[in-house]
Amino acid sequence: MKTKSLPHDSARGHVTGESVFLDDRPLQRGELHVGLVFSPVAHGKILSVDTSAALALSGVAGVFTAADLHHNLWGTIIQDQPLLADKTVNFWGEAIAIVAAENRATLAAAKKLVKVEIEALPAILSIDEARAQEAFIAVERTILKGDPDTALAQSPHRLDGVFENKGQDHFYLESHISIVYPLENDQLEVHASSQHPTEVQHLVSEALGLRQSQVTCIVKRMGGGFGGKESQAATFSAYAALVAHKLKRPARLALSKDEDMQTTGKRHPFKDWYSVGFDTEGRIQALDVKLFADGGAYADLSTSILERAMLHSDNAYHLPNARIVGRICRTHNTPHTAFRGFGGPQGVAMIENVLEEIAIYLGKDALDVRRINCYQGEEQTTPYGQVVVNNTLPALFDRLSETANYAQRRTEIQAFNASSQTHLRGLALTAVKFGISFTSRFLNQGNALVNIHRDGTIQVSTGATEMGQGVNTKLQQLVAEAFAIPYQNVTLLPTATDKNHNTSPTAASSGSDINGAAVVLACAQLQQRLKACLLAHWAQPVRGALEELSITGQEDTSQILFQDGYLVHKDNPEQRMAFAEAVNLAFFNRISLSGYGHFKTPIPGYDRDAGKGHPFLYYTNGVAACEVLIDRLTGELKILRSDVLMDLGRPINEGIDRGQVTGAFVQGLGWVTTENLVYSDTGALLSHSPTTYKIPNIQDTPREFHLELLENEEPSNVRGSKAVGEPPLLLGFAAWAAVKNALSSTHAHYNPPLRLPATAEVILSCLK
Amino acid sequence: MRDYILFYLNGKRYEVRGEQAFMSLADFLRYERGLTGTKIVCAEGDCGACSVLRGEVLPEQDELRYSTINACITFVHLMDGTHVVTVEGLQDEQALSPIQQAMVENYGAQCGFCTPGFVCAMTDLVNHNAYQNPKGQTHLDEKQIRNGLTGNLCRCTGYTPIIEAGKAVNLAQFTPLQKRYNSPEMMAELRRHRSVPIRIQAGNKDFYAPLSYAEAVTFKQAQNAQIFASATDLGVQINKERSNPTVICSLNLVPEAHALSESGGVISVGARVTLNELEHFMRGHIPEFARLLKIFASPQIKNKGTLVGNVANASPIADTLPFLFVADAEVELTGPNGKRRVNINRFYTGYKQLDMRPEELISRILIPIPDPADSLRLFKVSNRKDLDISTFTAGFRLRLENDLISQIAIAYGGVAATVLRLPKTEAFLQGKPFNLETFQAAGAIARSEISPISDVRASAAYRLKLAENILLKLYHALAPSPAEAVGV
Ligand SMILES: Cc1cc2nc3c(=O)[nH]c(=O)nc-3n(C[C@H](O)[C@H](O)[C@H](O)COP(=O)(O)OP(=O)(O)OC[C@H]3O[C@@H](n4cnc5c(N)ncnc54)[C@H](O)[C@@H]3O)c2cc1C
Ligand code: FES
Ligand code: FES
Repeated sequence: MKTKSLPHDSARGHVTGESVFLDDRPLQRGELHVGLVFSPVAHGKILSVDTSAALALSGVAGVFTAADLHHNLWGTIIQDQPLLADKTVNFWGEAIAIVAAENRATLAAAKKLVKVEIEALPAILSIDEARAQEAFIAVERTILKGDPDTALAQSPHRLDGVFENKGQDHFYLESHISIVYPLENDQLEVHASSQHPTEVQHLVSEALGLRQSQVTCIVKRMGGGFGGKESQAATFSAYAALVAHKLKRPARLALSKDEDMQTTGKRHPFKDWYSVGFDTEGRIQALDVKLFADGGAYADLSTSILERAMLHSDNAYHLPNARIVGRICRTHNTPHTAFRGFGGPQGVAMIENVLEEIAIYLGKDALDVRRINCYQGEEQTTPYGQVVVNNTLPALFDRLSETANYAQRRTEIQAFNASSQTHLRGLALTAVKFGISFTSRFLNQGNALVNIHRDGTIQVSTGATEMGQGVNTKLQQLVAEAFAIPYQNVTLLPTATDKNHNTSPTAASSGSDINGAAVVLACAQLQQRLKACLLAHWAQPVRGALEELSITGQEDTSQILFQDGYLVHKDNPEQRMAFAEAVNLAFFNRISLSGYGHFKTPIPGYDRDAGKGHPFLYYTNGVAACEVLIDRLTGELKILRSDVLMDLGRPINEGIDRGQVTGAFVQGLGWVTTENLVYSDTGALLSHSPTTYKIPNIQDTPREFHLELLENEEPSNVRGSKAVGEPPLLLGFAAWAAVKNALSSTHAHYNPPLRLPATAEVILSCLK
Repeated sequence: MRDYILFYLNGKRYEVRGEQAFMSLADFLRYERGLTGTKIVCAEGDCGACSVLRGEVLPEQDELRYSTINACITFVHLMDGTHVVTVEGLQDEQALSPIQQAMVENYGAQCGFCTPGFVCAMTDLVNHNAYQNPKGQTHLDEKQIRNGLTGNLCRCTGYTPIIEAGKAVNLAQFTPLQKRYNSPEMMAELRRHRSVPIRIQAGNKDFYAPLSYAEAVTFKQAQNAQIFASATDLGVQINKERSNPTVICSLNLVPEAHALSESGGVISVGARVTLNELEHFMRGHIPEFARLLKIFASPQIKNKGTLVGNVANASPIADTLPFLFVADAEVELTGPNGKRRVNINRFYTGYKQLDMRPEELISRILIPIPDPADSLRLFKVSNRKDLDISTFTAGFRLRLENDLISQIAIAYGGVAATVLRLPKTEAFLQGKPFNLETFQAAGAIARSEISPISDVRASAAYRLKLAENILLKLYHALAPSPAEAVGV
């Protein structure tokens, strides 16, 4: 991976161990350790909560329950979840009480002394049970295009099937954590590991009955987020804040990895019922699908996640007629939440599986079926009515099938499978077309603050939070380039709600897009002022103490450029001034050196009631080919080779973007293969640590891994770039499709009942 | 006798007394020393975020030998006589080390939470291949990097950038840890302390490290002490509050506990011989066992964990046991009345039940090297190939004479409360022709001899199927058809 781009702005601190994560902060005088008492059943009636024994333990500073909260209901979209359960518990691990103690040993002991009496009630633990009992969250949604019923009836071929995927744990390395310092006048300084500081601020103030202006949330960095810290992080800050506010002492709440995995939401499990009609070539005529998501016990972000799943049920493929219906099941599992892809992966997995099954049914190569179904030209529309423009999908398919040597390898694999008694190989090439923008239009806004200091160095802050994805580095680059100054002179500040407020979560892959565009706007204001000031100075420098340069902001300043640390006259390069000097010129003439940019994404938006609209600014596209090897006797799986080709526009920082692709892709591989959430019959997660929950290891990264980026400037987005965070995750699905392909190769038209994830056990059970 | 633990930390000498000696090393580093570069994620040895380097004194060498270990599941008392280097101790003055530099330039760090652990593990790899055991390379190859970093998880990068970073390190530019840190004073201090026993009592905690097995036995008997080998099992149990031993006896200062030797066709493994030492040793003596040890846990675990610990921990999925069963290994127990030996096939009497009296300890494992005429095949099936606990294990030793199976021993793990021999299957196979049909028929018998359970790793049905299929794998492994050579 050769690249000249700028290294990650925290890289030096990361490799030396100097980077400060929340739990690395030294304890303040009197700081309390905070922990939670969780529900030990999935569903039950709380009969009593007795805190007296815990309170009596020496070293316990306080125990708090629902009654101690000013407002005990939260939810990012629908307020339906208590912060602390008081009457019933609705999932295993729901928080019931907060314990604060002088040290960690006392905290551990005190948590066990809180006596909760619960009468267990029957629990709904699966989509099937929820459907049988009609337990749902929110309303049913539909996207309708054309006349799917007629088209299905008239199609030469028809398949009906069910596709099921399990969830996935985020497994960010840094578990949920928050530290809250009480300040004077009931103000709180909240340090959170959150992708959404504004939501933390709002929830803390609401839960404690404080004004929003009394609470500041600061996020320096996260040790990984992946969506898991979008909505749910806020609750942990609220718990710590309650302690800090009531006891007027600093409070730190850090979950263990086991607690984090047991009690927080996951990627949504889905079960989908579909009917597809197609012609003898495999060209889809109509798709009729019902998506059911396991939302868990409360709404969380499920409505938006289901929406994105529905909006990605076409993926890269044109559906002339479609009915896509979505429903969220209310179960007694953890409230499932955002996870990189945000429903997109579930929609994409469903349709990619349908294509694989069409190929099996017709006895065709699945690549041919995908290729003829993929969006062509610049005029085809999605089921929700957005026209697919700047469409690189056919080119991506064609190029990757060439560079990955698809046809030749297919022949080799067929020969191998015909002769081996112990192993099977499989190959698949799948695609992603990922819509960029929040589907709730109001979230597509961002603000940025750019402050220039007297020495010509700059501090920048936005609502974007840094979780490793490199958004700060991209913003640093945008500012350095705007003023043509060394990147070392640009510092990204911790994200904080007192500098940037009313921000959106860093999510939907849009962190760099939205905040980058806001930064560019803020820089433009400053550029204009500095240039105008310089022009005025060149026209007539001030003489004497009482004169001052003044500017209107409307001047034509196009003749001045920022070049190599100078402001330069474009026709006369001799005429120039060093950046820092120009800054001082502006300062002494009392011209603001602070830029504030506010950006809103220019999109019409999506009407969810109608199932129609134009939700996305553009699409990030990609394709991947995976070849797998299966042990026929044990079901064990090895990924032999992966080829990924993506259209990421013109990357701002190619090194960072490539890291996003490799990281997301391997995370996708994990979801579809080894990451297996195993629950007890009573709804407790059993695989709640890396001993039993297996994310990909370095040995699981494909031995042969090719990654290519197709350069294709995106006219609608900041500096021609495209969002990258989520889309490559969906390409990991190629490994699953390759497993299905391998399994199906043993008998003509054999359609293996493969579930997702394809663990060794599942694979072996599908071997015929 | 001394009442303190002596170790060096990033070159600085520390004596630790009292309660602090019982802390986990990771907690001690983070909360007592403010060295927060060492992260804690899982607290069970499975993620590597807490990786640090540990230098050990070797007999007759004037430098330490460094390797990575998991700080979360080791204790300060177990660090006695070592030099611990954390990520904070790796910079060359103000400059980044070549490993750190390569990680920066190749985008090896995203969120950064796993990064200090990777930097430590990669430093171990470089220090090893550039200095401790140089093979004349200028750069690491991809296989070395993958094998060396198996004990570290990263959720952000997908590993490719980390592999690239590893490949970019110029070994010649690296200053070996020995050159940087091993002063004659440090060596003399560490060596001197190895002959002074330790006793630390603090609150209800009691730690004793004697110089002989006999003293250990006396203490164990008198105090009902728990023997700590390297605590890769015990550390997890303690962190997860499944056990809380207060009286601890370490064999670390017992010289014979570190002995690993072969004589008269029998390999003798002392109580403190690590799995890593064993893996290297076995390459020359029993390569098939070395191959199994390669996929045992991670480098960090093997650098610490012991064979004796694996045997004493008595897990039905302990990876070394099927081998020890079919090899007819013996467990040597030392007690107040001297030594006795038990064939490992009779050592386990029930789930975690051993033929070992409370006052006894395991002093050695004795492994007869299989006859060259025997084929030894060991299998481990797990949900993830590397750094995973087994779903199912199997060991086979068989001899073929004129295409007939003349001798066979079979042991399965993960199918019952203990590792089992399969007498009926063995009897069936005895004298049968070596062909696929034989092993297919044997599968049905094997199924009938076991009673696996369903748990978080697999269903009983899957384990039953594996019990059957593994016999076919054995057949194919010994009679490979041409296609099997491909890609496996
Ligand atoms: C991340 C991780 C991965 C692992 N992977 C594997 C794997 O792949 N395969 C596998 O089989 N195991 C695995 N293990 C388990 C563990 O590493 C092994 O069982 C190891 O061999 C234990 O050795 P130890 O020296 O650490 O034992 P300790 O933890 O120190 O002791 C284990 C038990 O043995 C007793 N004991 C130790 N020495 C003696 C003695 N001389 N006499 C009497 N009793 C004694 C102790 O009292 C204790 O009960 C893994 C563990 C971890 C944490
Ligand atoms: S914290 Fe995970 S291995 Fe130590
Ligand atoms: S960089 Fe985030 S876990 Fe590795």
